[in-house]
Amino acid sequence: MENLKKNIKDMLESGEIAGFLGLIEEEGHPIPFLFTKDSLDKLDALTVPDIRYPMTDILLKIVRKYPEDTIGVMVRGCDDRALIELAKNQKILSDLIRPIGVACTKEMAEYCRCSQPYPREIHYGEKVEGVKDRSDLEKVESMDLSDRLDYWMGQFSKCIKCYGCRNICSMCFCDQCTLEDDTLILTGQAPPEIPIFHLIRAFHMAGRCIDCGLCEEACPAHIPLRSLYRKVREDMADYLGYVTGMDETERDPLEFLGSDGYEVPTKIDET
Amino acid sequence: MAGLAAAFGSGAMTNSVPEFEDADCILITGSNTTSSHPLIASRIMTAKAKGAKIIVIDPRRTHMAALADIHVKQNLGSDVAWINGLMHIILKEGWHNQSFIDERTEGFEELKKVIENYTPEKVEEITGIPKETLREIAEIYAKSEKSSIVYCMGITQHITGTDNVKSLANLAMLTGQIGRPSTGVNPLRGQNNVQGSTDMAAIPNKYPGYQDVTSDEVREKFEKAWGGPLSPNVGLTVVEMINAIEEGKLKGLYILGENPMISDPDSTHVEKALDDIEFLVVQDIFLTETARKADVVLPGSSFAEKDGTYTGTDRRLQKIRKAIEPLGDAKEDWEILCLVGKAMGSKGFDFASPSEVFDELAELTPIYHGIDYDRIEHEIIHWPCRDKDDPGSPYLHKDGFARGKGLFTAIEYKPPAELPDDEYPHQLTTGRLPFHYHTGTMTRVSPSLTHEVNEAFIELHPEDAKSLGVRNGEKVRVSSRRGSIEVKVMLTPGIKKGVAFIPFHFVEAAANRLTNAAALDPIAKIPEYKVCAIKIEKLDGREA
Amino acid sequence: MEYQTVRTTCTYCGTGCGVLLEVLDGEVIGTLPQKDHPINEGKLCIKGWNAHEFIYADGRLTKPLIRKGDKLEEASWDEALQYVAKRFLELKEKYGPDSLGCFSSAKCTNEENYLLQKIFRAVIGTNNVDHCARL
Repeated sequence: MENLKKNIKDMLESGEIAGFLGLIEEEGHPIPFLFTKDSLDKLDALTVPDIRYPMTDILLKIVRKYPEDTIGVMVRGCDDRALIELAKNQKILSDLIRPIGVACTKEMAEYCRCSQPYPREIHYGEKVEGVKDRSDLEKVESMDLSDRLDYWMGQFSKCIKCYGCRNICSMCFCDQCTLEDDTLILTGQAPPEIPIFHLIRAFHMAGRCIDCGLCEEACPAHIPLRSLYRKVREDMADYLGYVTGMDETERDPLEFLGSDGYEVPTKIDET
Repeated sequence: MAGLAAAFGSGAMTNSVPEFEDADCILITGSNTTSSHPLIASRIMTAKAKGAKIIVIDPRRTHMAALADIHVKQNLGSDVAWINGLMHIILKEGWHNQSFIDERTEGFEELKKVIENYTPEKVEEITGIPKETLREIAEIYAKSEKSSIVYCMGITQHITGTDNVKSLANLAMLTGQIGRPSTGVNPLRGQNNVQGSTDMAAIPNKYPGYQDVTSDEVREKFEKAWGGPLSPNVGLTVVEMINAIEEGKLKGLYILGENPMISDPDSTHVEKALDDIEFLVVQDIFLTETARKADVVLPGSSFAEKDGTYTGTDRRLQKIRKAIEPLGDAKEDWEILCLVGKAMGSKGFDFASPSEVFDELAELTPIYHGIDYDRIEHEIIHWPCRDKDDPGSPYLHKDGFARGKGLFTAIEYKPPAELPDDEYPHQLTTGRLPFHYHTGTMTRVSPSLTHEVNEAFIELHPEDAKSLGVRNGEKVRVSSRRGSIEVKVMLTPGIKKGVAFIPFHFVEAAANRLTNAAALDPIAKIPEYKVCAIKIEKLDGREA
Repeated sequence: MEYQTVRTTCTYCGTGCGVLLEVLDGEVIGTLPQKDHPINEGKLCIKGWNAHEFIYADGRLTKPLIRKGDKLEEASWDEALQYVAKRFLELKEKYGPDSLGCFSSAKCTNEENYLLQKIFRAVIGTNNVDHCARL
């Protein structure tokens, strides 16, 4: 921990980074905080807790205001996957981000059922192997189709339309959100239109979701959202051979669906 | 409040929020929990997932009702009858808890005599609840190991509000479903600091901590602490103060962060009073409908701009912390009040911080006595917390009730003050939406919330709409004996036939132009917002 | 460049969820659920997630106002406070303490409620103190 603090302090003092987004412990509660040259004393309170805040989501808010500055950020495996996707989607420039990697503990990896509980580069903590657990999906897959529909409809009927799943999501960075398009989903209803609201979100998670599970942690209705998006993620891998959060140079095969996707026709012409 | 205080000796939620999760049965009435207290609904959903039976008794098929195991729609204002009916069945079947009744309560014989008459047949007739369902509910509630009752304004905003609450207390005591974790009788508080403002004696008959203004001993204590003589007379309630303005008896009024122009029943009457009063001061963060009537408006601060404490619905003390400075020349509200006190020449307002104010109030308030800012930084404390070693009280009445023995009150059913007739054939009830809060002062300037809903509507049963000849989305005129508004129709098969619902957040179609301010619960002085008679008229058939 | 989060309590219903207000360069830009809060455990409703949105809304009052005829006009704090004190004390003198009253607030803090009722009970001398909790 002392090395970590020194490392951050050096980067801030040398001007390598303008700020470092991490967490501090305040009266026993870990909360996100941006360290700068002017708040080095706060480094005493730096913490790597066993709870997670949406670090890259917060990072984006800072980057939007300070697009030219280099910023450091504490990342776990999940946050690092998010960084890779944000770079692919041109929401950040990797050159202007200094990830400080934290490997999760075995307990945390198990709690999160995380398949990759470590970032590309580890500055703190010991790497532990990922957890391969798809029991949540197996449970749903063991149901016949009509039971499965009943199960999901029952789950969606609990939704109170807080938008917490979207709000906490590192991958929900769109300026306009389809979930708020009143030509697709009626406004003012809780539960929101079933199952459209949740299916639209699930489709939009294809090629996006990095399987961090923050959505499910944030759901007041305890809807197993992560299972839904994991299934979508698996399908992307099985059918299109694409896994998010692995390689910055790999392109999302669904990108052509977007209006500002990469130029498919040109590439076809070239081949 | 008054009902629970009479039965148990304390008017607050008997149990804490996290305890709902471990209940075996949760009986919810007059609370649209997913809308008004979503994170409490979240605990209730967890309880259900763990096997608890959820019972909702509500005239509307609310979201909470749709998620319940059993939902029945009672006739508006028939609550005493169905609760007496449950107790009748429980007693007849021997599902009551005799040892709890013997050891912990008094007044049982009188109760027994009254509930004897509430046969399932009679109750079905009054309430519209089928007798088989009533029996099923009685059995689940009485026989579950831990049963908890949850209620909100749907129970209290009636002329029989106090009776309704006492009846729920009767039910809990009859079955011994109180004084243990995950049981009890739990009024959910609508606003962020309803519990705290009542604790802090924003009520006309108490000093902080529910100490009687009429007690000589208590008064002497406060006279000594505050350094001057105090009035031995009980003061006026909000509704009585409005009436006193019209009678020429109340000349000056100070309104802090409230918008009675919208929140109070019969707004036309309130508007006249605020126009007539000689001197009106409003301290608020927006120029509300009420503030526009003021002689002086003092700009206060939002929760983001000041320090202080709120007391949550389950008697839990929590801090709010200043994130930014007050906007412009506005000041923190505690500071404004200190300045007003000093301007009046008083020496008792020399506080440097909210923490110092808290220390004074804790000193004078036995149930807060052990609490200070430092402790609530590190601990979750539910009052009563009487000294620094006291960990506080997540649930009340463990070994004895606050008043000693729990008091049963025998209560007969009384119909609502205003029943439908030929001229006003429909019944109106009011409530909240999940997307807005109270009078909308804060939520209606919040883009994410107005995106969801930004206008009033009237929920009607499709069959009622058919007989009125109106369609979904069409604008109608809704009138009561007190006023009239225009709103668009929203068809809802989930509402009881003959009953209509209007959310009360919208100033331009304020439901409280229609509600009945004259009908007050005689004890709690709460107006009967939840029932009045209305007529619905077709306009030109255009969509709103 | 300054970003911090401030632990506080949601200002909407009485549940009392723990929230973090996100403050970027002195401006509140967002609300996050407090992950380790014993009541909401990292979850919020739609009102809670947007609890910051009304803070900078148009129409926030930033100056004291005093009625001059039909209009409310901006005034200094000193003027406003002196006027309030003077008028209340005059009315008390003329009609007695029970001719005055206050509506305290279920939206305000314990400290604020305590102070307002103390003004009316200890300085004015009336128990005409209530709030809209019953409403």
